[in-house]
Formats: sequence, structure tokens, C-alpha cells
Amino acid sequence: MKRIVSIIILSTLFWTGCENREGSPGITDTEILIGNIQDLSGPIKELGLLIPAGSNMYLDYINEQGGVHGRQIKMLVEDHQYNPQKSVVAAKKLIEKDQVFCLYNVVGTSPAEALRPILEESGVPLIAPATMSSSMADMSRQAAQYIFHTDAGYDLQTRVLIDYILENNPDAVIGLCYQDDDYGANALQGCAEAESNHSISVQKEAFQRGATDFVGQTMNFMKGGCTDVIIGGIVREPVTIMKTAQAMNYKPNFYGLIPTVDPRVGLLAGEVGEGFIAPYHAYYPDSDESGPTLYRELCDKNNVPAKMRGIYHYYGFATAHVLVEGLRRAGKFPTRERLIKGLETLNNWESGVFPPITYSRNDHTGVESLYLLQLQGGKQIAITDWRD
Amino acid sequence: MSELLTGLLQESISGIALGCIYALIALGFTLIYKATEVVNFAQGEIMMVGAYVNFFFVTQFSGMAGGLNGWVFLAALFCSIIFAVFFGIILDYIINRPLKDEPVFSIIMATISLAIILRSLTAMIAGPISLVPISPFGDSTIQAGGIVISVLDLAIIISAIILMGLFFFFFNNTRWGIAMKATSEDSEAAQLMGIPVKQVYRMVWVFAAIVGIISGVLLAPRMALLDTTMSYLGLKAFPAAILGGFGSIPGAVVGGVILGIIETVSMGTLSFHFAWIKEINDIIVWIVLIAVLMIRPDGLFGIAKVKRV
Repeated sequence: MKRIVSIIILSTLFWTGCENREGSPGITDTEILIGNIQDLSGPIKELGLLIPAGSNMYLDYINEQGGVHGRQIKMLVEDHQYNPQKSVVAAKKLIEKDQVFCLYNVVGTSPAEALRPILEESGVPLIAPATMSSSMADMSRQAAQYIFHTDAGYDLQTRVLIDYILENNPDAVIGLCYQDDDYGANALQGCAEAESNHSISVQKEAFQRGATDFVGQTMNFMKGGCTDVIIGGIVREPVTIMKTAQAMNYKPNFYGLIPTVDPRVGLLAGEVGEGFIAPYHAYYPDSDESGPTLYRELCDKNNVPAKMRGIYHYYGFATAHVLVEGLRRAGKFPTRERLIKGLETLNNWESGVFPPITYSRNDHTGVESLYLLQLQGGKQIAITDWRD
Repeated sequence: MSELLTGLLQESISGIALGCIYALIALGFTLIYKATEVVNFAQGEIMMVGAYVNFFFVTQFSGMAGGLNGWVFLAALFCSIIFAVFFGIILDYIINRPLKDEPVFSIIMATISLAIILRSLTAMIAGPISLVPISPFGDSTIQAGGIVISVLDLAIIISAIILMGLFFFFFNNTRWGIAMKATSEDSEAAQLMGIPVKQVYRMVWVFAAIVGIISGVLLAPRMALLDTTMSYLGLKAFPAAILGGFGSIPGAVVGGVILGIIETVSMGTLSFHFAWIKEINDIIVWIVLIAVLMIRPDGLFGIAKVKRV
């Protein structure tokens, strides 16, 4: 009888061990399957092309070197058209039908936020959601243990800019032009924090996404006597506001948040854009750090057209470093739990693209510091060290 | 001039330019509706196609001419209008003719499908990366009494006035214009009276395409970046057409301009003096629309249809 019991126990242990080795969905002996959800046909489809292209460039580079623990990384990309409902459908398809190992880089705050219940239910990690809203790193929210944020939030960006403005001019009158959605809401959070820290009041003007006219907001900043104006837009907004202000002979210092670090701002604004300052959370693609150097080499090697190179393509390349490091740390026999534990061992980890990243069980924030870039002669030049 | 008045005037001029774009799109809705009683939900997409086609011609011609000059823009505009004529004829053939005797609902669904197809086709052909439109007027401005007017805005306002005037004259003083009105009233009776209804319909689609394409050409430089999201402005022009009175050309103009001014002034002076306005900025247009429709259910220039019972 004892012999039979021993055999049963040993068999159970053996099968349990085998199961661990065969591991999670999306993992075979030769491949790791990753799911990515982008806007391929909606309002920001431009990013849907550029971000995964940048990620694939780095993943191909890793695969050429033998992959991660001998496995090639394969990324499936689904379309959510910037629609949270479609984001959920796409995630279900990737998790249940395609059986991906983890999700990576879901673009947009609301499409990424909408995935919390499905992440909770399935236990699938989401690495580097492509949104700068700091809500993704809020550990008190649902499924937070499965989400590893990389980006510095809009709140931090706004706060760092206000700190910088007041350092240089304690009497500055600051204005914030914010988009009337979750992007703007997060920027307003940082603004409120800075207002309380410095006991100041910032003049706030809203605009609707897709707006083409900023005469009203610019005039209000002028009437309010703002000496420094922060624009929480992307490309159209800073360019139009700076040109409108110039036409009105109103010349404050202009600043933008990270999405405005787009080379097209300098190109379109021309002389008006000279001196425009914006924060950035990674080593700039033109810099001499190891990550940007590799980026330029791979772009040249893969003949990436000049119009595709830029902050969004680079963003995909940069965040893929975090994904690959997580997969490495998940070990030779990766499971989703091991991926999470592996990422939580990152301690001042130098990726070459981002400043040192630390994750822990209670902190999935990612990048927590920024530096400032200024448009000088049409080029982005770093004017500060890292700040937080 | 007081600061308040200068501010209001400045914002109003910008609002009028924005409103003229709405008015041109609304005019596209109105033209088709007047003749066929169909609401063309693809008017915003026709405008977007116009912006892309014009961009294509400008880049091609500037390449040939070795740089940008006034002739390049004029030639591109001319070719874009020729394109609009053929585009309108094609739309008449694929949307209007096959569905002519079908319920209006089917035609509306066809125009919605057309909108989706045009957006997707444009993205496929032009690629997802935004283009940088070129303005024939650069960043030139005119200063007048403390008010700054961009030359582009001025061109938009003048073009819109000319186009509206031409269409108003056409509908009221030409045989074809009156034929269009008659067709809209009762197509069967018009046909019995010898009006070539098919040609009238074709002409209406061609006119709507021309108006759409021209509004796209004018709007693109104001957008700083050209992408397919431009078509969503078509939806903003819809309340303008309703506000003015659907089917009325002066109504489309007045509705568009009112909405443009409300949008700009509410974001500017009103928000500055009344902070709570910021909270309702995105719905203020709809509040005005509902208020006007409560007083005048057929819009500002709409004529109530009375049936003898």
C-alpha cells in the first residue's frame, strides 16, 4: 500500500514539475507569443504604425541574437481604434484565442484602463502600457499587480515644468492649456500639486481634442498676464498657439508635455518655436547613450525611412527593452507569475534607453525622472539634468 | 477700444473663419438635401479627400515648377476642382442612382458606408503618417485697429462668401437652379414637366463635391497637420445646417458662422470671465441648438412645411 501511495505522490510531483516546465500559454520550446493592442485605424493610427514598428525592430534584433533563453519573440498586434470596448474585445481574442503569454504596449489611457477586469480575471501581465497617465501605476487600483508602467506621468511632467519655471523666475505667472480629456485631467493633477507646493495659482484654459482654433485661449493667457505657458497638446496645439501668440505680439515662454517633443513642432513652428521647452523621460534618440546609438544603427541597418524615425518609433524600441528584460528574468521556464516576479527584481536597472528603473511588489511606476529639452536652431537640446 | 471689445472682435473674426468652414460643409449637406432629400453623412470625408488631393497636386506641381509659387497653388486648386467634378459624377453613379427609389434610410446608410470607405481608402493610399499641409499665404497677418487677422482666415471668409453668393444666385435665378428646387419638391412632377431629373441629381452631387473639396483645400492649412481625423469636422457642421434650417443656403451660412463664433468666444472671453463656462464648452453648441429649435423648430431660416388635412 505504501508503495502505491509513494508512486502516486511521485507521479503527482513529476507531472506538477512537467506542467511548470511546459508553463504558461504563449510559451513553446521555440517561441514566446506577445499581444499588443494599438490604434491601427482610429484617430491616432499614426502611432499604431510607428510604435509596433519600433518594438519589432528591437525584438528582431534580440531574435537575431538567439532570442530570450533560446525562444524567438513573436508579437501579435490587434486594432482597438482608440475605443475601450474594442480594446477589451482585442484583449480577449489575444488571451483566449491566440493564447498570448502577456500583453504589451496597449496604447491610450482609456483603452488600457478598460483592460483592468480582464487582467484581474486572467492574471495576464501588461508590460509598458503606452500611456503617460500616472493612473496606470496606481497600486491601489484593480489589477495593478499585473501592470508595469514605464512612462513618467503627465502629472509629473507638469509639476517638473512648473518647478523649473519658478526656479528661473519666482515671479512667473503660469498658464496651462490642457486637453479636455484624461490627458488633461492627469496634467491638472500635477498642476494642483505644484500649486499647493509653491502656493501659486495657475491660469488654466481648456481645449477640445481636434480643435483648430486657439485664439480664445491665447487671448485669455495674454489678458491674464501669463509669462510662461504650458501646452498639454501634441503637435497642432503648440504650433498653432505659438503662431497665434506671435501674430498678437504676445511673447511668453512656451512649454509642452512629452507628446510635444515631436520633431514636427520645430519644423512647423519655425522661428516661433525657438526656445520651446518640453520634458523627456528617455535618452533622446540623438544622444550618445548606448540605447539611442543602437537605435540609430538598427534604423540604418533596416532602412527605416526618415519620416518614420522619431519619438513614437523610438518609444516602441525603448519599451521593448523592458519587455525583453522581464522575459529574461522570467527564466528558462517562464510563467506569468515568474514574469511578474522577475520584473519586480529590477533595481536601478540600466536599460540604456530609460533612466534607471526600479520595480517592486508595491511600486510599478517605472520612470520617475525627466530632463528638459529646448528647441534651439530647430534641434532638441538637453538643458537640464534628470529631475523628479 | 476697450480690451473686452477688442478681445470679442478678435475672437469673432477667428470664429467667423471657422464658421465659414462649417458653413461650406453645411452647404454640401444642404445642396444634396435640397434636391434629393437625402442627408449625405460623407460630406466631411469629401472635404478630407479634397485636402489630400490638393496636397498631392501642390507637391507634384511644385516639383515640376522647382518650388512653390502662386501658380502652383492656382493650378492645384483648378485640378482639385476638376477632380471634384469627376468625383461627384462617380458618387452620383454609385450612391444616388442605384438607390434612387429606395427608402431614404437606405441611402443614408449608403452615405455612412461611403464615409467609412473614403476614410479607410485615404488612410491606405496616403499612409497613416500625418502630412504637413502648405498654405499659399504662409503665416501672413493683417493688423487693423488692434485686431490681428490671418490672411488665410480672410481668404476662407472671402471664398465662402463668393461660393454662397454663387449658389444663392444659381438656385434663385437660373433655370437649372429652379429645376433643382422643383426636383426637390416633387421629382415625379418635375420629370413630367420635362426636367431631366437624372442630370439634376448628377449636378447636385458634383456641386456638393466641389464645395466639399474647396472646404478641404481651405481648412487643411488651418489644421497644421493633415490626417483623416479632419473628416470629423463634418459632424460639427451638421448642427450648423440644422441651426440655420436644413435645406436653406443662407441658413447654412448663418448657422455655420453662429456656431464658429460661439465656439471661439466661449473658449475665450466667456471662459475668462465665467470659469464655469469651461466645464460646458463641449456642449455649449448643442445647448444653443436645442434652445433655437425650441423657439424655431425648423431652424433660423427653415420654412415650416404645412400640410392641408
